[in-house]
Amino acid sequence: MSAVFSVSDLNHYVGEVLAADPVLAAVRVQGEISGFKKYPSGHMYFSLKDKESQVNCVAFRGNAAHFSFVPENGMSVIITARASLYDRDGRFQLVVYLMEKDGIGDLFVAFEKLKARLEEEGIFDTAHKLAIPTLPRRIGVVTSPKGAVIQDIIHVLSRRFPNFDLLIYPSAVQGQTAAAELRKGVEWFNGTDLVDVIIVARGGGSIEDLWCFNDEALAKTIYHSHIPVISAVGHETDFTICDFASDLRVPTPSAAAEGVMPIKSELLSGINAQTDRLTRSLLHCVAIRRNRLMMLSRSKALLSPLRRVESESQRLDMLTLRLTHSLNRRVDSSARRIDKDIASLDALSPLKVLSRGYSLATNPLTGACITSVSHVSPGQPVQIQLADGLIHCKAEKIQAGRIL
Amino acid sequence: MNQMQEYEKLSFEEAMIELESVVSKLDAGEGTLDESITLFQKGVLLSKLCSSRLEEIEKRVRILTDDGLGTKKEMPFNEESITSGEKE
Repeated sequence: MSAVFSVSDLNHYVGEVLAADPVLAAVRVQGEISGFKKYPSGHMYFSLKDKESQVNCVAFRGNAAHFSFVPENGMSVIITARASLYDRDGRFQLVVYLMEKDGIGDLFVAFEKLKARLEEEGIFDTAHKLAIPTLPRRIGVVTSPKGAVIQDIIHVLSRRFPNFDLLIYPSAVQGQTAAAELRKGVEWFNGTDLVDVIIVARGGGSIEDLWCFNDEALAKTIYHSHIPVISAVGHETDFTICDFASDLRVPTPSAAAEGVMPIKSELLSGINAQTDRLTRSLLHCVAIRRNRLMMLSRSKALLSPLRRVESESQRLDMLTLRLTHSLNRRVDSSARRIDKDIASLDALSPLKVLSRGYSLATNPLTGACITSVSHVSPGQPVQIQLADGLIHCKAEKIQAGRIL
Repeated sequence: MNQMQEYEKLSFEEAMIELESVVSKLDAGEGTLDESITLFQKGVLLSKLCSSRLEEIEKRVRILTDDGLGTKKEMPFNEESITSGEKE
């Protein structure tokens, strides 16, 4: 263990020790920036210090380019870094990966407080949210006219609905004046009748960049907007007060364009589908009726009037027949009675009596009927009438008294 | 045509909803043939209206610019209008 190190070996060794330490591999350090220098290479060199101490820091271009703000001397920051030893002059330093502004914690607290308060005031009430129109005749967008956001929106809109109508209200989307400008944009559209829907948009950025969207007055303006407002701020993971107050929150500006404009070809096929259904339905209606007509024309229901006539005429026949029978019967019975009467008349006729063997005696002188022996004296002529002629006789002897 | 005048006021979505309701009614197959034909005619009007609503939208991208007196003016939007805006 009495080996003697060269300086280089020592520095190298210390460097390895530092690199192997799990805490120092990714350490978060809070401090104030001083001696800040940015080299043309893009690397940043500065010290981080507190009241008693300081430490050298380097941020290489690859990491420095992703910082969400430009570090400045005096700025209070939290860095995430690994410890290393700069071999050449044996200097301990931190290689910085990430840098956040300190005080973010305060921002979060402020955000949560504002959110809770506005929520209580009902600014985020779902019941108050307006429906996004299916087909906005004109779309208003409040955003920066520079940069990718508006281009993305235009690109997506033209893909979905080639003849879209977009009106841009240019506004700052970060910095001191942004919240007020955004609010004026929403208010301006509300003062006109130009657009059916408003998109408030901004691309991704740091929490400070997006801070203007956590503005109470902007939230209330959006809440009171009578035009539906779509909030498209930052990336998927960014939530702002503006998002909560809006009628629809979408994760990105491109998503706003998708959410606001339907795909024209889909609408057209929707209309065509309905029109086809319309035609089919009518044809179906006609077909059903035609079938029904055919069924009816064969059915008893339709034949029934005729059948009724038939049955009535049959009844008429029956009645006529009965009437005739009855008449005939009456005529017959009358005829029979007349015959009988005639017969009885016949039976009573003297001629008929004579034909049965009786005869009628009369006095040929007077023509009177001899109904008593006292009417005749012996020797007196008597005329006897039979059915087929007369007998002229002379009374020989008179005998009184009943014989038969 | 009264019906057409009435329909002229409808937005795309209103006309589309109306069209769907007309189609559903016709689909149900109730009512007289005359009523069905009336529904069909209504549906055809609505279908045309829906299509025309899609074409009515004018292809425009415009940007509001301040005329210096606080009044906003619409200008065609393109890269040029932004750069010129920046110069002012």
